[in-house]
Amino acid sequence: MLMSESMSRIVIVGNKSRLDEAINALYSLDAVHLIDHTNGADEGFAIGASRPYSPKASERLLKVKAAEKELGINPKKTKSEPISVKDIDVQISSDGIESVEAEILSVIEEKNRIAQNVSDLKAKEASLKLLCKLPINIELYRGYESIAVFVGSVKSDPTEVLSAFTNAETFISFHKKEQGVVAVFVKKADKEKISTALSDYGYTEIAVPEGAGNPSELLATTVAEISVEEAALEEMNAKIKSLSEKHESFLVASDEELSLTVKKGETPLRIATSEFSYVVDAWVPTARVAEVEKGLSASLGNSVYVELQENRGRNLKEEEEAEGRFKKTPTKSNNGNYGKHFEYPTSLVSVPKYQEVDPSTIIGVFLPFFFGFMVGDVGYAIPFIILGAYGLKVAKSKEFQGIATVLFFGGIWAFIFGMFFFGEMLGMHFITDGELAAEIAAGTNTTVTWEYLLNIKLPEWFCGIIPGEAGVSKLHAVTFLLKVSVYMGIVHLLLAYVVGFFNVKMQHGVKAAMFEKGGWIFTFIGMVVVCYAMTELLFTTPMPAVEGELLYTFVIGFVLLITGIALCWKTEKAQAILELPGIVGNILSYTRLAAIGMSKAGMALAFNYISIIMIGAGIGGMMGVIAGFPVFLIGHLMIWVLAILSAGLHGLRLQYVEMMNKFFVGGGQEYDPLTVKRKHTKIVETEV
Amino acid sequence: MVEDASGLIMIGAGIAVGITGLGAGLAERDVGAAAVGAITEDVSLFGKVMILMVLPETIVIFGLVVAILGIFVM
Repeated sequence: MLMSESMSRIVIVGNKSRLDEAINALYSLDAVHLIDHTNGADEGFAIGASRPYSPKASERLLKVKAAEKELGINPKKTKSEPISVKDIDVQISSDGIESVEAEILSVIEEKNRIAQNVSDLKAKEASLKLLCKLPINIELYRGYESIAVFVGSVKSDPTEVLSAFTNAETFISFHKKEQGVVAVFVKKADKEKISTALSDYGYTEIAVPEGAGNPSELLATTVAEISVEEAALEEMNAKIKSLSEKHESFLVASDEELSLTVKKGETPLRIATSEFSYVVDAWVPTARVAEVEKGLSASLGNSVYVELQENRGRNLKEEEEAEGRFKKTPTKSNNGNYGKHFEYPTSLVSVPKYQEVDPSTIIGVFLPFFFGFMVGDVGYAIPFIILGAYGLKVAKSKEFQGIATVLFFGGIWAFIFGMFFFGEMLGMHFITDGELAAEIAAGTNTTVTWEYLLNIKLPEWFCGIIPGEAGVSKLHAVTFLLKVSVYMGIVHLLLAYVVGFFNVKMQHGVKAAMFEKGGWIFTFIGMVVVCYAMTELLFTTPMPAVEGELLYTFVIGFVLLITGIALCWKTEKAQAILELPGIVGNILSYTRLAAIGMSKAGMALAFNYISIIMIGAGIGGMMGVIAGFPVFLIGHLMIWVLAILSAGLHGLRLQYVEMMNKFFVGGGQEYDPLTVKRKHTKIVETEV
Repeated sequence: MVEDASGLIMIGAGIAVGITGLGAGLAERDVGAAAVGAITEDVSLFGKVMILMVLPETIVIFGLVVAILGIFVM
C-alpha cells in the first residue's frame, strides 16, 4: 500500500509489416509504458517513421480544431451521445470534415462581411450625427478647386479666433455639454493658418460621408440601414448556433478519433525499427506481464515475440547498473481507495521515486487528523463535512478534489474532536458543569454555554461522552493542549524517521540505513527523553533533586542521544551535533496545532460575547436580535473561512516540512501507459 | 517571585510574540515575493515553494511557545 507497484521491463519484437496491428494492440492493453528509443542505442536499428496515414489525419485534425474554435465548441465540456467508431471513420474518410468545413467557412465569411458593414455604417452614423448640427448639405463639403474645407469636432469654442479670419466662411455649433462641431471654408492660401488656429482647440477631422442632401435625412436612412444589417447579423449568429448544434457531436467525435489516430500514427517515432522488424522496450507492472504477453500474441499470433528482461527491484544498485535509458523506472502509485485521494498533495511536491515510500497514505491519516484537531468544533465541522461531500461529488479538477477530500475527512475529525474532546459548538461548551455554574451565577466567569444560553438541561448520557466535566477548554487548558500537540508531533516525526530508515534499507541495505537514518531515530528518541526530563526539572517548583526516576530518565536519554550521534557521525560528521536544536524546533513546531485552535476559540469567544450582549443585555428586545444575530453569523462565518486557510495550510505544512523532509526525495517518473480514452466515441462490439 | 511580576510577564510575552512575528514577517516577505515569481513561471513548483515559504513561520511559533510558557508556567 505504501509502495508503488513493482515494475518489469519487457521487450517486444515483431514483423514490421504488422506494425499497425501491433500499435493498436499496445494501445488497447492500457499497461505498456513505452521507453523512448534513442538513435544509436542498438546497432542496426533506428527510430521509426510515422505511419503513412498520420499526415492526412493531422491535417484533418487541424481543420476540426479550427471549426470547433469558430463555432465555440469546447470538446472537454461538451456532453454528447458517443458515436460509434466505425461510423465516424466512414464519415471522416468520405470527406465529411471537408464538407462541414466548407459549410462553416461560407457562413463565417458572410458573418464577417456583415459585421464589417455594420461597423462602417456605425462610423457613418457618428459623423452624420455631428454634421446634423451644421446647416450645410453634405454635397457642399466637397468639390471645390480653390477653397479648402475644414470639418471636424472641437473640444473648446473657437468662435473668437476664427472671427479674425475675415475672408473665411465659418459655421460653428458649440454647446457646453455636447461635442462642438466646426466647418470652415477658406481660400487654399490660408489653409495653414486655419489649421494652426484650430489645432489649439482640440480639432479632429470628421470624414464626410458619401452622398448628397440634408445630413439629418441621410442619418435617418443610415439608421434604417444599420437596423437591417444588424438583423442580418443576428440571423447569421443564429445560423452559426444552429450549425454548432448540428455538427457538435460529429466535430467532437472526429476530434477525439483523429487525435487518437495521430497519436498512434506517431508511435513509431518512439520505437526502434530495422528494415523488416520493430523492437519496443517498455515498462509493464509485474503483475500484468503475463496478460500483456497473452494479449499481444492473441492479436498478432506468431509474428510477435515478448521477452521479460528484468523484474526491477527497489535497490538503487540495480538502477545504477542499468543502461542509460533503462535507469529510471516509472512510478505507478498504488494507494488503495482511501490513500489515492491524497495523491494530489504529494504530487504538489514531486512524484515519488520508484525506490521510495509513497507518502500519500501517511498524509491521508495525519492531515485530516491535524485539521480536525485545529478546528475541533461541532458547529464548524458539520458545514465542512457537507461542503466536502458535495465537493467530492461535484468537483472534477484534481485541485478541488484534493481540497474537498481534506474538508470532508478533516470535518469528520473536527466533529469527533469537537464532540468527544472539546465538547464545543460555535466556540461555546455544551455543558455548564458544577464549578462553572457557580462562577457564572456569581458573575466571576463570563463563559457562556449552550445549556445556559438556551436554558435547558442536556441529558445525562450526553454529558457522559464529554471528557472532564464540560470538555477541554481551548482557552483555559492551554498547557495541556500544548503537551498533547507536542506528543502528536513526536509520533508523527518518529514515524517519518522510521519511514526514512525503511527507504534507505530498501535502497542500500540495513547497514547503510543504520548509519544514515537509524542514528537519527536514536538521536530523536534520546532528545525527546532528555527534553522531558529537563522540563520536569525546570518547571517543577521547588526544583527537584536529580535522583531516582529523574536521574534514570536523564541517563537513558543521554545514552540514546550519544549512541545516535555516534551512529550519525560516520555520515554526517559535526553536522550531527549542529542538527540537534533542529529536532527540538521540529517538535515545537507542532505546538501550532494548539495555538491555531486557541486563536479560533478566542475569536469565537469575542463574537459570541458581542452578539450575546447585543441581544440580551445591551440593546435588548427585537432590535437587539436584529442587530446581534448578523454579528453572530458573520463573525462565525469569518472564523469558518479562516479555518480552511489556517488549519488546512498549517496541517499541510506539517506534512511537507516536518514529515516529508525526513524521508521524501521525489523526482520519480510518472507511469504513463499507452491507452485509449474515449468520451465522444465508442466501439460497438458487433462491429469489431 | 515578586508580587508585581505578573505585569512584567505579560509584557515579556508580548515582546516574545511581537518581535518574532516581525522577524517571521520580514523573512516571509522575501521568500513570498520570490515564490510568487517562481509559481508564475511554473505552477508545478507550488509544493516545493510552499515548503520554503512556511519555513520562517517556525520563528513565530517559538515566540508563541515562550509567551505561553511565560504566562501559564512561570
